[in-house]
This record gives sequence, structure tokens and C-alpha cells, in this order.
Amino acid sequence: MNELLNNKTESFLSSPVKLSSNHLLAIEGMKKSEIQNLIDRADYFANLDKHSNTKTLQGYVVLNVFFENSTRTRVSFELAARRLGAEVINISLINSSIKKGESLLDTASTLNAMKPDLLIVRHPHSGAPLLFADYLNCSIINAGDGRHEHPTQALLDALTIKRRVGYLEGLKISICGDIANSRVARSNIHLLTIMGADVRCVAPSTLMPSNLENLGVKCFYDMKMGIKDADVVMLLRLQNERMSGTENPSEREYFKFFGLDETKLALASPNAVIMHPGPMNRGVEIASALADDSNRSLIKTQVEMGVAVRMSIIEALNNTKNEILKN
Amino acid sequence: MTYTIFKSIKLLNPATNLNEILDVVIHKNKIFSISKDFQTEVLKQNNQIDIYDCDGLTMTPGIIDMRVNIGKTENLVSTQKIAAENGITSMVILPNQTPKLNNPSIIDHIKRQSENSKLPKVNVYGAATKDDQGLEMSEIGLMSEMGAIGFTNGNKSIKNSLVMRRLMSYAAMINRPIIQHAEDEDLSGLNKASTTLINGEMNEGEISTRLGLIGIPSCAEVIIIERDIRLAKLTGVNYHVAHVSTRDSINVIREAKKAGLKITCDTAPPYFSLNETSLLSYNTAFKLSPPLRIEDDRLAVIEGIQDGTIDAIASDHRARSKDTKVQPFSAASIGASGIETLFVMTLELVHKKIIDLNKAISLLTTNPANVLNMKKPSLEKDELAEFIIFDENFPDMINQNNLKTSPTPFDLRKINGKILGTFINGQAAYISQMFKDKIIK
Repeated sequence: MNELLNNKTESFLSSPVKLSSNHLLAIEGMKKSEIQNLIDRADYFANLDKHSNTKTLQGYVVLNVFFENSTRTRVSFELAARRLGAEVINISLINSSIKKGESLLDTASTLNAMKPDLLIVRHPHSGAPLLFADYLNCSIINAGDGRHEHPTQALLDALTIKRRVGYLEGLKISICGDIANSRVARSNIHLLTIMGADVRCVAPSTLMPSNLENLGVKCFYDMKMGIKDADVVMLLRLQNERMSGTENPSEREYFKFFGLDETKLALASPNAVIMHPGPMNRGVEIASALADDSNRSLIKTQVEMGVAVRMSIIEALNNTKNEILKN
Repeated sequence: MTYTIFKSIKLLNPATNLNEILDVVIHKNKIFSISKDFQTEVLKQNNQIDIYDCDGLTMTPGIIDMRVNIGKTENLVSTQKIAAENGITSMVILPNQTPKLNNPSIIDHIKRQSENSKLPKVNVYGAATKDDQGLEMSEIGLMSEMGAIGFTNGNKSIKNSLVMRRLMSYAAMINRPIIQHAEDEDLSGLNKASTTLINGEMNEGEISTRLGLIGIPSCAEVIIIERDIRLAKLTGVNYHVAHVSTRDSINVIREAKKAGLKITCDTAPPYFSLNETSLLSYNTAFKLSPPLRIEDDRLAVIEGIQDGTIDAIASDHRARSKDTKVQPFSAASIGASGIETLFVMTLELVHKKIIDLNKAISLLTTNPANVLNMKKPSLEKDELAEFIIFDENFPDMINQNNLKTSPTPFDLRKINGKILGTFINGQAAYISQMFKDKIIK
């Protein structure tokens, strides 16, 4: 894998990626080469000085449409689009159209009438971005849909790991926590298995989705076994807002069995790194001190890499659209 | 005086083991003659005689569709008309409409509204309980005097065991069946009163995990059936399970039948034709209740049809407006249209050599009549003409754009078979142009 990367010419890395689709809706179904190219291109952006001129998308209109609360993802997309020179409009629809009873389709056609180039959409319902893709003329990026996928998070996680460890293939990666309710987990499972990592999922049985092994992972209900020799420990937030009160007896019980602390981490590989998509529940998923341990925690790097990855994706979608128009 | 002659038509009536190519003559709304090679000379010269060449066509009793929801987008008469065009001569509507069919006067109203017409007969299930919580027994005796032929809470399970016991006991006394939508609402998350926030959206399994949709475990169905069977044994009621969809349910019903209990069940075309993989694109036409299950469950439904564990096939018609279906999967309404595809999808089982035509027709006619204690369909001399005529091999394709109800879960499916005519109460409720063209004199 490292050799492959080194063989890539500078000219390849400094040109935009072409994708097989006009949209980025899910990791599931993506080609290994597409993922690899997006990560490589993002890596190139991450190495650039933040004042370098990357403004190649002047006049490109991006609508950042969020039907669910978000700070980091929204800001990250906005920064990425602005660094490419695009115009960004943030639209928060948490309290507006939906409450007024407008259907999602009407919202979509209203937005479409404004002729955006790209719609970045986060929605509480799984599959909603697919509906947008069916009814809008622009490119769509799924910025998180229900419990389904959060593809840009998985790509930025992959970039973060690649920059720290150098490769993904064969890495032992343990994804721990509320997998049932996590779109981050699903996107990461798809991406990491496509890239050839050895993925283990650790969760209490009540938060382990049905037949998860069929996605190509091993399932563990004992965290100590699940993170044994792991190179990467990825933690997930307990999504209390999606729970019914029967998944988990209490936060302290959760921390005892599934929270990452020094004792459990000692079972992982000596160089193991810790990741978390945020926002964190300190003392629930992760001991506070570990979250702040800059030698092992990549949590801040993940946020930083978000911008580079999203630049690479936005640029790739524009490039892909232009290629389609050309033909 | 008009005599209408259906020349060389294949007559099929599972109720009387009739299966023969004959000439059928109707006159004054009644079947005047059923015979081999009918000679028109016996009729007086001044009579009008219409002869139709029915070579290759089949005549059977009309379909009794034992499960039809009349939704907000439909009204009874329009649904009846569409039903007639699709070979249905009698249908049973569910009580969960607005207003709810939970008292004798409304049953009476619906019976009167739909009587004496040349449209399909409308039979009614009364609401088993007055309230939505399912805790208070309705006046099921008075409703049955007004013509309610069974009792159910429609698309909601009768959940409370004591209420179910009492209902069964009372229904046994007045000789009416109890029809159950078997689904443990706590497990499926459909119980709005429950404190849990989950809201089951599809069958639980690998596909629900991939799609990030909330799964309903398939055992939510059999749990209710197993309980009900014990109560049915206690009370001696005729217990009918609607739209069975899982292997476990069918196994349990099979055993209960062997043990001699008065248990029957039906299924609907989606459950023997489709499985949960249809949902992979989040297509809301496949958002049904019960949800589409795994392939093994689909195969079990087919086995249940073959060995007679499943008594009947109903449309489970629950048409929905486009507005409520063009939505993210979670927000979309539950249900799909069915009356327009019931016949052709059942016929598909015949073309796939899963069952023979006689069996298919019995699943749609004689068997539902038996389950609901209705008059046996007949095709005999001197009876009122009430039958359907179809071409079992006509190549066709289901196309949403040509249907009057939506959404169909069978869009763009290639099928064979077409209803050409439907006679109800001696009159032609529907005659297709294709049939009119078959007139030879």
C-alpha cells in the first residue's frame, strides 16, 4: 500500500478526482480506487498552507441544508467550500419548513429552483438524501442521514488514520459503542472493509444491529476481547436522543463495560490510537484524560482533516459533473 | 329477449369440482343453460342472440377479496368499480376507516349504501373494540345482526389478552370469526401509547442494518398468534389470522390446524412474491404492514399455500396518496394498492407451476367464503349470473401509470392473465373491449 502511494506522481495528486457518480450518498457501493483517490487528494490539500490559493470553484453555489443540528460538520463543509472559492449558503431547516408541514419534496423543488451546484444535506431520516438526488438537478452530498450513512466522516477518519499510520489494509480497527444508532459506524464499516482493514465491532447486545457480521466485520460483546491488539480504537457517541430507555441501564454501567479507560486500552496494540467522531460524552464513552492525551488521541486531527476531505469531495463532484457534461 | 351465449368456455368451480369446456347461456340475469354444444335453434327466432367466441377463456365464480382498506384517498363506490374491473365480485372492508365501523348503525348504513347495485357486494368487518386502545368490546352482537361478518381491529392487533379472551368467547357465541392482525406492538414499536421511542419501519435483519432503518423482529407476528391460539382453544372461536408473513407463524398455524382447532389464515400477494431486498433503494411502495420478510419466509408462505395451511389470498388493499409516499422512508405512509393486482399475482403462482388453476381460484373464491361463512359461490343453471371471465395467458405488464390506485409494489412486473368480464347479480359489472370484440353474431 505504501509503495503504491509513493508511486503516485505529484501531478496526479494535484489534480481533481473523478467519481463514478454525480453524488456522494453512501460509502456502500463505492470503488476502492475512488476512496483511495479521494483520500490521496485530501492528503494533498491537508499538506497545503491554509493561505495557498485553492480557489478553483469561483461561482460554484453550495447550499448547506441541515434538517438536524450540527456544528462541526456544517462549519467544516462551509470552510471546505470557501477554501475552494465557492459561494456557500447555510440553511437550517430544523424549525422552519418541516414544522410548517411542507413536504420534503416541496422543499427540494424550492431549493432546486435556486439552481445550486451542490446540495449538502443532513436529515434525521435514513435515505432522505437519495430522495433529494432523485428530484434535484444538482450534486448531493450526504452529510449524515438518520442511522444510515455519514460518508464524509468515514473518509476523514480514513485520512486521519492514513496520515498517522500510513496505510489501512490489514489494520486492526475496533469500532466501539452505539453501533445500532450510528451512521458513522456504518460508513466506517463499509469504507474500512472495502480498504481491506480487519474491522471489529464492540457494543452491548442491545446496541448491536441485527446480522452485522454480514457486513464483513467481527462482533464482540466484551470490549476487552474486541479491542485486543487493535491498532485503532474508534469510539462512538451514545445517541441518547435515538434511544428508548431500554438499551442501557445507566451511563456508569456503560462506562464500566464499554467506556475506554487505561485498563482496557492496555489490551490494544502499544501504539494504538483513539478516535471519536464527536461530540464526546466524557466519562461515558471515554475517560476524560484519554480524550486529551495528544499522543494517542486523534480526535482533534479528525476535525482538522474534515476540511481537507470535504474539499477533495466537493472538487471531485464538480469535476465529475464537468466530465459528464463534456461527454 | 336477449340470450347471451358464451361458446366453448372453460368452466371452473372448485366448490363443485367443475372443470370442463362448455357453452353457457344467460338469459334474464340467470344462467339459462350450461351444456355441451348448445343449439341456438331451440330459441325462438324473434329473440336477440349474442354469441361470444370464448375459446381459450375461462369462467369461474367471482373473487371474494376478504381484506380491503378504504383509505382517505378513496371512496367506496370508486373502489367497488375498480374491484369489478379486476374480477372481484365481493369484498370485505376493514373497520379502521373514518368514521370507524364500530357501531350497528354505521354497519347498516354501509350495507344499504352498497346494496342492490351491479357493483361488487360489500361486506363489513365490525371493529372489535370501540376505542383505539382496544379495551372496550363493541356491540358485536348488534353489528352482526346488521350484517357484520366478522370482527377485527383492522391493522392494529387486539393486544390485551383479557379483551381478546372475552371477544373470542362472545364471538363464538354469536358464531362470528375474530380476524387478527398479528403483531406485538411493543416489539414492533408501533404502539404509540408505549413509552418507547422506536418506530419499526421494516423487517429486522441485515437489510435493516444496511439501510439504517428500525427493524421489526419477525417473531412479533408469531408471538400474538401463539397466544391467540391458546385463547381460541379456551373459547372455541373461529379464529382467523390476516396476512401471515413468516415461516414461524405458518408452522404454528399448521400445527394448530392438525390439532383440530378452528383456525384459518390468509396472505397477500406481496408476501409470496417479494422479500425485504426490494427495500434496498428505500422505495416506499414496499413499506407494508406486516413488513416484507426474508426469502425463507416468502418460501414458507408458498409452502403454506401449497399444503393448505393458508386458506385464502386477499388483496390487503391499502392505497396511499403519492404525497404520503414520496417521503423519506421513515416518514412515508404504510400500505400499497392491491385490488388491481390480486388476480394476476395469484395467477402468477399458476404460471410458475406452484399451484394449479383450480387451487388458485379456490384460494380466491370458495375458501374465503368458507372462512367467513358466506354463501358458496355457484355456477349452476337457474342461478343468478355471477362470475368472471378471464384469459389466463394474456401477456401483460403491471404499470403504475395504467393503474387507478397507488402505489403498486409490482410496478413493471411482467404477468400473464387478464380479466375480460365481471358479472354481478346477473348483470355485467364490467366488460372489456377485448371481450366485446369476441362477439361472432
